[in-house]
Amino acid sequence: MHPTPDPGTFSGITEGLAALILLTEFAMLRSAMLRSQVRLYSFQSLVVAALASAVAAARGIPDLFILAGLTLVLKVILIPGIIFRVMRGSKVDLAGSHRLNVATMIFIGISVSVFGFLAVEGLDIHSATLPTPALGTAVAVVLVSFVVIILRGDVVSQAVGFFSLENGVSVASLVVAAGLPFIVEVAFLVDLLVAVVVFGVLMRVHHMKADTLSTDVLDRLKG
Amino acid sequence: MLPAWLAQVLQVLTVALGAPLVSGVIAKIEARLQGRRGPRVLQPYYDLAKLFRKETLMPEESSWVFLAAPVVAFTCYLIVPLLIPELTNFGLPLSYTADILGGAFILALAGFSVSLAAAETGAPYAQLGSSRAMTFGALIEPSILFITFVVGIVTSTDLPFVEAAAARSSLSQAILPAHLLAAIAFFLVVISDTGRIPVETHASTTELGMIDEGRTLEWSGPPFALLKWGSNMKQVILYVILLDVFAAPWGLAGSLAAGSVLLAIPILLGKAVGVGAVLTLSDNTFSKLRLFKLTEFMAAAFLLAVLAILTLYVGYA
Repeated sequence: MHPTPDPGTFSGITEGLAALILLTEFAMLRSAMLRSQVRLYSFQSLVVAALASAVAAARGIPDLFILAGLTLVLKVILIPGIIFRVMRGSKVDLAGSHRLNVATMIFIGISVSVFGFLAVEGLDIHSATLPTPALGTAVAVVLVSFVVIILRGDVVSQAVGFFSLENGVSVASLVVAAGLPFIVEVAFLVDLLVAVVVFGVLMRVHHMKADTLSTDVLDRLKG
Repeated sequence: MLPAWLAQVLQVLTVALGAPLVSGVIAKIEARLQGRRGPRVLQPYYDLAKLFRKETLMPEESSWVFLAAPVVAFTCYLIVPLLIPELTNFGLPLSYTADILGGAFILALAGFSVSLAAAETGAPYAQLGSSRAMTFGALIEPSILFITFVVGIVTSTDLPFVEAAAARSSLSQAILPAHLLAAIAFFLVVISDTGRIPVETHASTTELGMIDEGRTLEWSGPPFALLKWGSNMKQVILYVILLDVFAAPWGLAGSLAAGSVLLAIPILLGKAVGVGAVLTLSDNTFSKLRLFKLTEFMAAAFLLAVLAILTLYVGYA
């Protein structure tokens, strides 16, 4: 019997969390309800926070605990809350804004993830904090979130796609630069807040003008 | 100490004789969950006994294929238990006659022969069922293939015993993401192959929603009993593969000592009932997908299996 070399419990758990983040991204590709889209984002951020604290505990980087805490407050509670608040005025909940059928979208997602994993494999990066597959997963999350933004035709999904892209980037930064100066990490989060405000205004204005959250009406001229 | 051949015979007997019991207990649990009293747990045995006493009727158009198919399928379900870790965690003499793909082929042969005979009857619902069973069988096949690849990469063999041994060997192997993802993907395959809720309403009477069930509508008497018995056995076989290869390869006999092999039998049936209970819960929680949305389910299983491969590829290749 030749099992693969024992990868260790830590790497098993962290890779599992990373895979869960990627699976949530795929769920965003599928989910039809706008509200569940936001809940998925909240859950994904929760997993990111869990991953950050796992790294902090196992590798002794206390900064990351603060980052995990900020992630928890901002991305799990505050940002979904803001989006819910913005959406409260609009009655439309069922998005149904898939530009292709779901299975096809999943296959496109799988293809870009394979590309992401193979690209990382080619880079030959070895990190001291997290196993390399986590980086592949992070790149796959970023790529799939592009697919979400491109193939979903409603403002909420596109905003959530953009926010989850940031989640992918933070996982990648955990792998390659867990010792990143704390101020830079916080700057990312502030950036995200700005994006949330921008997207919030965008959703409100779009809903006011077009009376829908779908982007399909944007190509119609208004006199 | 039991002789190895006896343990081998016990493997087949456990599946053949225990399968109706497992189905009966699961049906009872399901009834309780829905607030019904439900049939006796031994009801499947009474059903089989009744069917074996009835006469055999054949559709006019059909040929010997119609009568041969249930026997072929039943034989296949008798062979597969020889090949998988069921009572012992090491391979018995006949266990290495076919690898994990060989087992999948034999299961596929069983499904194929029933579909062929169902298509031959010329009855509309049987044909509908057989064409659907083949279509969705083909769609779930890539996931099975990729799960096999996971076994191949993790163990560098194609033997289910080694995969189970790898999962038992240490905690970190058991929670290896590739292993977990493959286990979940296989769980979805089991749901699809045993006709559980997101895919098919099992034991329903609406022909338009049927996939696997629809195929057997034309049979009667002893051949129908063999088909029913076979589908009970198929269910247990798939549960055993899910449990003893991926999800929970514990509780198997480590040697041929009579006590531990005999103890493994109730443990196995208990674990199978446990999986059945989980499936029943999900049956009662989710609603059936529209037929044309089933591709989403298949895509999800495929996604999990591919991700399992990817996490392995980057890490250890």
